[in-house]
Amino acid sequence: MGRAWIGGKLVELERALAEAARLLAASRCPLIAGLGTDVAGARAAIRLAERIGAILDHANSDVLLRDLAVLREAGMMLTTPNEARLRADALLLVGPTPAAMATELASAKGEAHPGRKIVRLCPGRAATSVPGETTVGRDPAQLPTLLAALRARVAGRPAGKLGVPAQPIEDVATQLKAARFGVAVWSAADLDPLAIEMLCGIVTDLNAQTRFNGFSVTPGDNAVGVLQACGWMTGFPMRTGFGRGYPEHDPWRFDGDRMMASREADCVLWISAYAPAASPWRDGPPVIALTSGDAARAGHPDVQIEVGRPGVDHDSIEHCAALGTLVAVAATQRSETLPVADALGRIVAALPEAAR
Amino acid sequence: MRTRIAGGRVIDPVHARDAVGDLWISDGHIIDAPPGTAADETYDAAGKIVMAGAIDIHSHIAGWNVNTARLLLPEFHRAAASRPAATPLSNAGWSTFATGCLYAQMGFTTVVEPAVLPHYALHAHLELADIPIIDKATLTVLGNDDFLLGMMREREGDAAVQDYVAWTLEATRSLGVKVVNAGGSLALKANVRQFGFDDMVPQYGVSSRAIVKTLQRATHALGVPHPLHVHCNNLGMAGSDATALTTIAAAEGLPLHLAHLQFYGYGKDGRRGFSSAAPRLAEAVNGARNVTIDVGQVMFGQTVTISLDTLRQFNSRQHARPRKWVILEGDANGAGIVPYDYRASDFYNAVQWAAGLELFLLIDDPWRVFFTTDHPNGAPFTTYPDIFALLMDRDLRARQIAALPPEAMAVTTLPAITREYSLSEIATMTRAAPARLLGLTDRGHLGPGAVADIAVYADERDRAKMFRAAALVFKDGELVVRDGAVTHCRSGRALTVRPERDRAIDRRMTGYYEERYGLSDTFLKVPEHAVGQPFGLVPCVR
Repeated sequence: MGRAWIGGKLVELERALAEAARLLAASRCPLIAGLGTDVAGARAAIRLAERIGAILDHANSDVLLRDLAVLREAGMMLTTPNEARLRADALLLVGPTPAAMATELASAKGEAHPGRKIVRLCPGRAATSVPGETTVGRDPAQLPTLLAALRARVAGRPAGKLGVPAQPIEDVATQLKAARFGVAVWSAADLDPLAIEMLCGIVTDLNAQTRFNGFSVTPGDNAVGVLQACGWMTGFPMRTGFGRGYPEHDPWRFDGDRMMASREADCVLWISAYAPAASPWRDGPPVIALTSGDAARAGHPDVQIEVGRPGVDHDSIEHCAALGTLVAVAATQRSETLPVADALGRIVAALPEAAR
Repeated sequence: MRTRIAGGRVIDPVHARDAVGDLWISDGHIIDAPPGTAADETYDAAGKIVMAGAIDIHSHIAGWNVNTARLLLPEFHRAAASRPAATPLSNAGWSTFATGCLYAQMGFTTVVEPAVLPHYALHAHLELADIPIIDKATLTVLGNDDFLLGMMREREGDAAVQDYVAWTLEATRSLGVKVVNAGGSLALKANVRQFGFDDMVPQYGVSSRAIVKTLQRATHALGVPHPLHVHCNNLGMAGSDATALTTIAAAEGLPLHLAHLQFYGYGKDGRRGFSSAAPRLAEAVNGARNVTIDVGQVMFGQTVTISLDTLRQFNSRQHARPRKWVILEGDANGAGIVPYDYRASDFYNAVQWAAGLELFLLIDDPWRVFFTTDHPNGAPFTTYPDIFALLMDRDLRARQIAALPPEAMAVTTLPAITREYSLSEIATMTRAAPARLLGLTDRGHLGPGAVADIAVYADERDRAKMFRAAALVFKDGELVVRDGAVTHCRSGRALTVRPERDRAIDRRMTGYYEERYGLSDTFLKVPEHAVGQPFGLVPCVR
């Protein structure tokens, strides 16, 4: 069992669950946010959202939806980090976040891939050059222009008017075209959707002659695992609302930050099981927090229920970035602390009949 | 509690039964009529048709590919109505919950997801567990995986391959083995753009033929009831009939199942070099008693193709309608999701439609030809009732043929075919035969001891209307559908096989995963407790 607080005072768990249910049932527009939980917790949250007509958002939706925007507008050629590690003879590392990936994508035994070409685009001002690797640009703000020039040169079109140094771009284009199985790596935290689409366009164009794929560094808090559960249960990603009794997806309308700023949401259920992060909103409507750690670390919400850490306090299923798939993780420090799924199940059981 | 379904026309080809009578249920199973006992509840089926619950052997309903298709195409599945109280989330446009409800409403009680890569098995089972009402099963896809091809390259022999296949089936909790464009996806990684049955996989030096035959022998020797399920090379290409004929010949008397044969039913005749070769394929199937096929019927309308045939999907991305797609180079096969709109006015699509119906009508044994649309690749599974109607009514076919491009109909034999399926043949194709093919002796029939999976239909002249909305559906003896609407939401099972193996393979797999992936092999195993629905074990027949 975990600890629970109401108004910062330690209370019996049952009381906190009942108070959470009361607040959610009284709400006209509840927001379930954070959503840092395993697949079981996500499934429970989605079922609760349908019951009470809530909106679902994830702390990392912003980043995730940039990639998804490109996927559903234009499509993508993807691979997994693991396949890149085993097979790639060329890595195109775009922006500062993937800068560390060259090491991570070395072979399983840690040795460098023989003959692998590594190109870094705009790794950041602080990045130092690596011998044997190519670096073009520094400042990530240059990325959209550099990617446009690179796409032009890969496709054999002129790029003269873009104001970027011609020869380095030319050299990179030549290297990419010479790859036999190249992989582009980016993070949507570094790029806007148009730049991601440009990069994915380069990957697609390269496949006219050779094989090239890409993947993005996925955001944390099991964002992709929650996305998958949301996808099969509602048909949509996060930023989906049940206000009308059926799922509607709208990346603007159901953006938790916007709903809080505009005071549309009148109650927040904040979930952060991987780390005891507090909700980012202050002085707003009532907050029920399900986080690992105590109320102080959760920012003193109105109701706080301590939950277990997935894969630590209890077994979990979550997204594994290396394999690009959902995996079963056994608890490393098994404890009785309530998993998110169980806490949500008990809140549902405590809802008044009309809200159930 | 004893339930009686009274006075319906009971059609059960397994027991050669087609007569008006009663059906009795007790404890979730069908029982003999108990002498002198009154039923605790009685459902009037007078004037109605009573069949076993239908079984779909090949429908892409769960897993990473299906979910990625959902995320790729949010505009296709807006929800229409707020939820009915009994069925949570079933109103979401294209959710796991909607999938279970839509199948149940048509009288389906068991569905097989036929394309699960080992590394995505846990994901697939999680989705299956959220598909309510019906029972489910998966086929695990091998044949583009480094471990198998490495074994073949090193000439390790059949016993070693059998152990590996058995280990994989247990780890992924599946009902059988499928191979998708054997070797073709690995070849694509080496930039090979066309790959045939006797081509060699680069770096492994084994042919597609050798992969198919190796897996066919292993599946057979392990006693897995469902024969190797083969998605051939060269899908969708003019002249692919030759690939299918070669594959049929290569079966050499051992059981083999060819998936969605329609997509290989294309010759090169006619002005456009594209014609139906379905009559040639049907003749070959009629002559090969060891071979079963499912059709993969095309129906006109918007859909999305979801396939582990990375090579095929990579090449067909240019034809995406709308113009977006996802191609994944994963471990082993990878996947491709390409939306497509089959148009009645399109010459090629009209030939595809006709070729599928020709296969249904020219293969003479309803025990060896299975209705599928390769959902959603040829059409969504919700079009099955329309297909049954077309098979049962030549006038309906003639009316639809008249609306299609005459040039397309001229390169098929469909307009000349007069055969009509009987209700009994429909029951064989959709109930009895699939159960036998999958080794599910407890269903597909209405004899005592069978699971009480029962569909009752109004005997409508409009067969599509009849099969679209069952009057009553029972799953494990529980009433789940009345008048075409779900009345009770329950959880089903996932059916699996667990053939025996030499446990030495377990240590070897642990070592392989640690060396190749730097990870424990436990990550891909599907733990029972994690899935949230029970598994049912189907015995092997060795």
